[in-house]
Amino acid sequence: MLDVGRHPNLELLAYSEVEKVEGEAGNFKVTVRRKTRYVEEDRCTGCGACAEKCPTAVPDAFNEGLGARSAIYSYFAQGIPSTHTIDPDHCRQLNGKKCGICAKTCQAEAINFEQEDRIIELNVGAIIIAAGYDIFDPSLIPEYRYREIANVVTAIEFERLLSASGPTEGHMDRPSDRAVLAEIAALEKKAKKSQKALDKLEKKFDEPSAAFYGKYQAGEYEGDEDRKKWADKYASHLKIVEPLEELKKKAKRFTVAKRLAFIQCVGSRDFRFYPFCSGYCCMHSIKEAVIAQEHAPETTSTIFGMDIRAIGKGFEEYKIRGGNNSNITYVRGRIAEITEGPNNNPVVTYENTRERKVESREFDMVVLATACAPTKGIGTLAKTVGVELDKYNFIKTSSLSPVDTTTPGIFVCGCAESPMDVPESVAQASSAAQRAAEIAFQSELEKEKAVA
Amino acid sequence: MSKDILVIGGGIAGMQSSLDLADMGIKVHLVEKLPSIGGKMAQLDKTFPTNDCAI
Ligand SMILES: Cc1cc2nc3c(=O)[nH]c(=O)nc-3n(C[C@H](O)[C@H](O)[C@H](O)COP(=O)(O)OP(=O)(O)OC[C@H]3O[C@@H](n4cnc5c(N)ncnc54)[C@H](O)[C@@H]3O)c2cc1C
Ligand code: SF4
Ligand code: SF4
Repeated sequence: MLDVGRHPNLELLAYSEVEKVEGEAGNFKVTVRRKTRYVEEDRCTGCGACAEKCPTAVPDAFNEGLGARSAIYSYFAQGIPSTHTIDPDHCRQLNGKKCGICAKTCQAEAINFEQEDRIIELNVGAIIIAAGYDIFDPSLIPEYRYREIANVVTAIEFERLLSASGPTEGHMDRPSDRAVLAEIAALEKKAKKSQKALDKLEKKFDEPSAAFYGKYQAGEYEGDEDRKKWADKYASHLKIVEPLEELKKKAKRFTVAKRLAFIQCVGSRDFRFYPFCSGYCCMHSIKEAVIAQEHAPETTSTIFGMDIRAIGKGFEEYKIRGGNNSNITYVRGRIAEITEGPNNNPVVTYENTRERKVESREFDMVVLATACAPTKGIGTLAKTVGVELDKYNFIKTSSLSPVDTTTPGIFVCGCAESPMDVPESVAQASSAAQRAAEIAFQSELEKEKAVA
Repeated sequence: MSKDILVIGGGIAGMQSSLDLADMGIKVHLVEKLPSIGGKMAQLDKTFPTNDCAI
């Protein structure tokens, strides 16, 4: 990634989109919109001081919403370029409120609220589409209750939980528990504020609130307006502290998730959604189970699938090693539904096809291996660039020319073409580069001929 | 006629093709819609089958 940022032959146009393409192989005219970051690229050093001071918290897309970032942000810590960006939907200043704290903080004077989108024109000989894929939205399968049960997560969310630089620093904290901890933190803040107000009154009347409140309720201070105010304050304080204590008691029992279930083919090999196999999900479930067990050795994982497809080089060995060394059990069966049991534990009901029985099992957390879905903007992009899509909305190719689109001079690689893993994406990428280079060198030859 | 190449998308596929071309001495313009390149792979903790760190 670093190399991409500093290669002399590579112009990186991040936070940009292609708006128009005209011409043909060897000679395309391309219009690119460089969206405004409200931060001057040549000034920003990526120091992050602005993000630290920004008062606006926004769900962090890079962490799949499991953490928060500021309204001025870098997409992720090691992101390239490191230039920060102001999120125009959430920034206070850009939404008519007074703020500008980032601009005051920035030593480099990089913030520019007046900055506008820029349009640039490129002339290229060939185009490679590498627009990737989207995570299938599992809420389309209502029986899995992805939105309703906090401890049912997608595999990409689980990747973020596993990551040392993620929102839990690599601990398998359960989303339901994290929600409670967030609530405790919010209540503690409120309790502190209301305690401060009570402290003043206690000083004034020289009496602890609890003792006073007992007498007040017994009717001792009828008609005393000042004491009524105190009583009301204390009553609302109790409404904060009592649930707070309950939650704290509950939080004492929290442990990291140790019994994991992985559910394969969520949206893949399913005629309601995508009939094809997404290819990489069996392997990433095994990987995630292996890593989870490395983090906490007592972790056990059950992978539910129709079959485990480990067809790449070294993959079958990886699968067997996982079973032998990482407490992974493979269960053949399809999931009928997921419900919520006691202690926010997801309960998986499935048909055990080997035993020919319907069974239910409780887990600490369930991970959904979601299908590789075509990326949302692909329809617009295909139209803009001028290529056809296949019936599932991946870029159309044919089996004997797997990186050629329906338009000469335009190539495709990676998951924009079809679901594939990283090694395959890299192989296709090199192949598409080669096809594009043929055109580039041809253009050069013709230019030389024209000069001679 | 132009010798330059446009690559759309800065995930692992777009980064690899851009680097291959740039190494051949071809000028590449890499357009990424998000603030940084990396794509989904940047979000992964480690990658199979070697469990190498993703980035
Ligand atoms: C949970 C999970 C775990 C995985 N683990 C592994 C693993 O361990 N090993 C492995 O080999 N594979 C793994 N994979 C598969 C891997 O993610 C893909 O093979 C790989 O990311 C595909 O790369 P790509 O470049 O084609 O797509 P992407 O990573 O999706 O990159 C596409 C890029 O294009 C950008 N883009 C999209 N539209 C536009 C546009 N219109 N204009 C400009 N830019 C655009 C996007 O912002 C993005 O940066 C995993 C997948 C998942 C879901
Ligand atoms: S905008 Fe300024 S404060 Fe923010 S990262 Fe860039 S240089 Fe640092
Ligand atoms: S103006 Fe305020 S809200 Fe907007 S990015 Fe700067 S610090 Fe954050």
